[in-house]
Amino acid sequence: MALLWLRLAVILYGVAALAVLPAALYNRPRWRHVALPAALAGAFFHFVSITETLVAAHRALPIDTHETLSWLGLLLAVAFLVLAARYRTVSFGIFVLPIVVLLAIVPAFRPGTETIVYPFIRTGWLMLHIALLLAAYAALFLSLIASMLYLIQERRLKQKRAESKRGWLPPLETLDQIGLNSLRFGLPCMTAGLLIGSVLALQTIGLTFFADPKVLLSFAMWIAYILMIYIRSNSGLRGRRAVYLSSFVFLVVLAVWAANSLSAVHRFKAP
Amino acid sequence: MSENAREKMTDRGVSSMPSNLKLLLLGVNHTTAPIDIRERLAIPTHRLADATRMLAEQPGIREALILSTCNRVELLTVQDDAGGDGISADGAPPMLSMIHFLNEYLQVETADIQPHVYEFREREAIRHLFRVASSLDSMVVGEPQILGQVKQSWTVGREVGAVKSTLDPLLQRAFSVAKKVRTETQIGSSTVSVASVAAELARKIFGSLAGKTVLLVGAGKMSDLAARHLIQQGATTLLVSNRTEARAQTIADALRTPSITTGVIPLEQLHEQSYRADIVITSTGAGQVFTPEIARTLLQRRKNRPVFFIDIAVPRDVAPAVNDLEGCFVYDIDDLQQVAMQNKAVRNHEAEAAESIVTREVARYSDRLSHATSTEAIKQLMLQAEAVRQQEMLRTRQQLAGVPLTEEQMAAVDRLTKSLTGKLLHPQIAALREQAEDTEPD
Repeated sequence: MALLWLRLAVILYGVAALAVLPAALYNRPRWRHVALPAALAGAFFHFVSITETLVAAHRALPIDTHETLSWLGLLLAVAFLVLAARYRTVSFGIFVLPIVVLLAIVPAFRPGTETIVYPFIRTGWLMLHIALLLAAYAALFLSLIASMLYLIQERRLKQKRAESKRGWLPPLETLDQIGLNSLRFGLPCMTAGLLIGSVLALQTIGLTFFADPKVLLSFAMWIAYILMIYIRSNSGLRGRRAVYLSSFVFLVVLAVWAANSLSAVHRFKAP
Repeated sequence: MSENAREKMTDRGVSSMPSNLKLLLLGVNHTTAPIDIRERLAIPTHRLADATRMLAEQPGIREALILSTCNRVELLTVQDDAGGDGISADGAPPMLSMIHFLNEYLQVETADIQPHVYEFREREAIRHLFRVASSLDSMVVGEPQILGQVKQSWTVGREVGAVKSTLDPLLQRAFSVAKKVRTETQIGSSTVSVASVAAELARKIFGSLAGKTVLLVGAGKMSDLAARHLIQQGATTLLVSNRTEARAQTIADALRTPSITTGVIPLEQLHEQSYRADIVITSTGAGQVFTPEIARTLLQRRKNRPVFFIDIAVPRDVAPAVNDLEGCFVYDIDDLQQVAMQNKAVRNHEAEAAESIVTREVARYSDRLSHATSTEAIKQLMLQAEAVRQQEMLRTRQQLAGVPLTEEQMAAVDRLTKSLTGKLLHPQIAALREQAEDTEPD
């Protein structure tokens, strides 16, 4: 049944991803009224699917790559809905919703075969560790999109092109605010996530944990994240350079994710 | 007509218009009459109720509505059918009775008005009303005020009892068509004046202008107008810099309101102080007041927060290269005019889509109206037939008083007469329905 809900969620996300194009690019309110309810319903069924999977398996944690990606997809869908409600913009959906579809379609139609072996202690803390880090990734991704949209809007304004009053992009300052606020939200998530993970690892693995490549890269990512916020807040970095900076940190995040294969702690294993 | 059918018809906002009543619209607007005629015909708001009441009291007029704006004066009436000779039941040609009203009420010579008057009847009157409410007939297509003005006329008409069962649903339909046009097209979504384009661009950069600072460099009518637009949009601080400080102070005082903080910057301190401004409107014509170097310094002091230059001066006050700096947005007078022109083109393009919506809605409304009319006629016919049947049944019962029929026999006679009436009426009802379908628009 959980798979059915997830498939339904994927279809709804797909509808939302398609409807958001005319809604955002051509300012068609009718399509906006399709995109938002579809995304909301998709997120609901996605949540139901994840909850049902966890309840059925008597566990609280994702155990394979696909499940983890599915969690990330749900977080991004929720982030899109929050932005739509808070800033009255669906422009982010152009980039976020297709990613959500991709993140959810794989576990929906090809459930994962690899599993991660958790030291099944303090499951609640482990769950918090995973959820916080995924939230930080989602926040970083949103910040990257906000920077890219800023760049597009800036270029449009500099090229002096006419467009309707309700242009498809939010105002520059709003985009800047979204980008910075996402990072500011992501930083405590990442800090707390890493801290919880480190304490748990110290208790179960010991100091050798800190020699793990993924762990080292994770701390590098955290420093890059802090530096990015510092630079953006203090020098008012915007536009092209903000995109470069966000892209760099995003690449570090991808490297951290890829480091799973090198990690003794986080490695997903075939059953 | 059954009660259900009647309810359905009312739900859809259409009441039947008896075939002996006709819709007629008479008016002048900015395309047909010069301003000296329009101003003589204009009816001020405080006289609208009185004028509407008086129009509704004219011979042959059942319902009336007057729309009077700076660009148009229109009289919409429901009149007794004038028949083929154009004479109403009261003996006056309908159009003349309306012109006569204008003549009487406003003391304007009929000969002065007549060449400028346009006239729409029935379906064309409906179309015109829908177009006017949707701002397709306005001088600036897509302007939003006209809908409010039509609504005001409607309210006045209802208050004085001149807008009743025929005009009321028609006007309500006109409002929903106008709303549809606004939501389904972007006819009103772009600004077309230079000052409002500048304010709109500022909103695209800053979002809300609340808390933003506007710096006015130099004095000029257009820069003053642009500043007023920005203040209207929420800007809260206004700084003025001018060659003569006294003049700057005068401008600042003129634009000051309780919610606006104003200040004067001496021209020699302009470059040091201009970092305080989010929006700079400049109109000195002194040339190169803001160079890329100055703008770069300004950006540094602003921690790269964007700054919007509105350069209305000729020769330009802001070097074009300033626009190449990240965070600086420079629009000169040509740029603003170009955007305004492009916006006008967008509006005209959207107007085509809006016209299709109006055409569709006129067809739908006329369709419902003709159905409602035929349904009303069928209802009347059936009521008459039923009355005759009842009368005949009563007479038969009286004739058979000595030999009363059993209940079953009475029921059989009742069924028989009903069946006969139905069969006899069938061709006429079919003809009425056919007629209604024939009058439906393509």
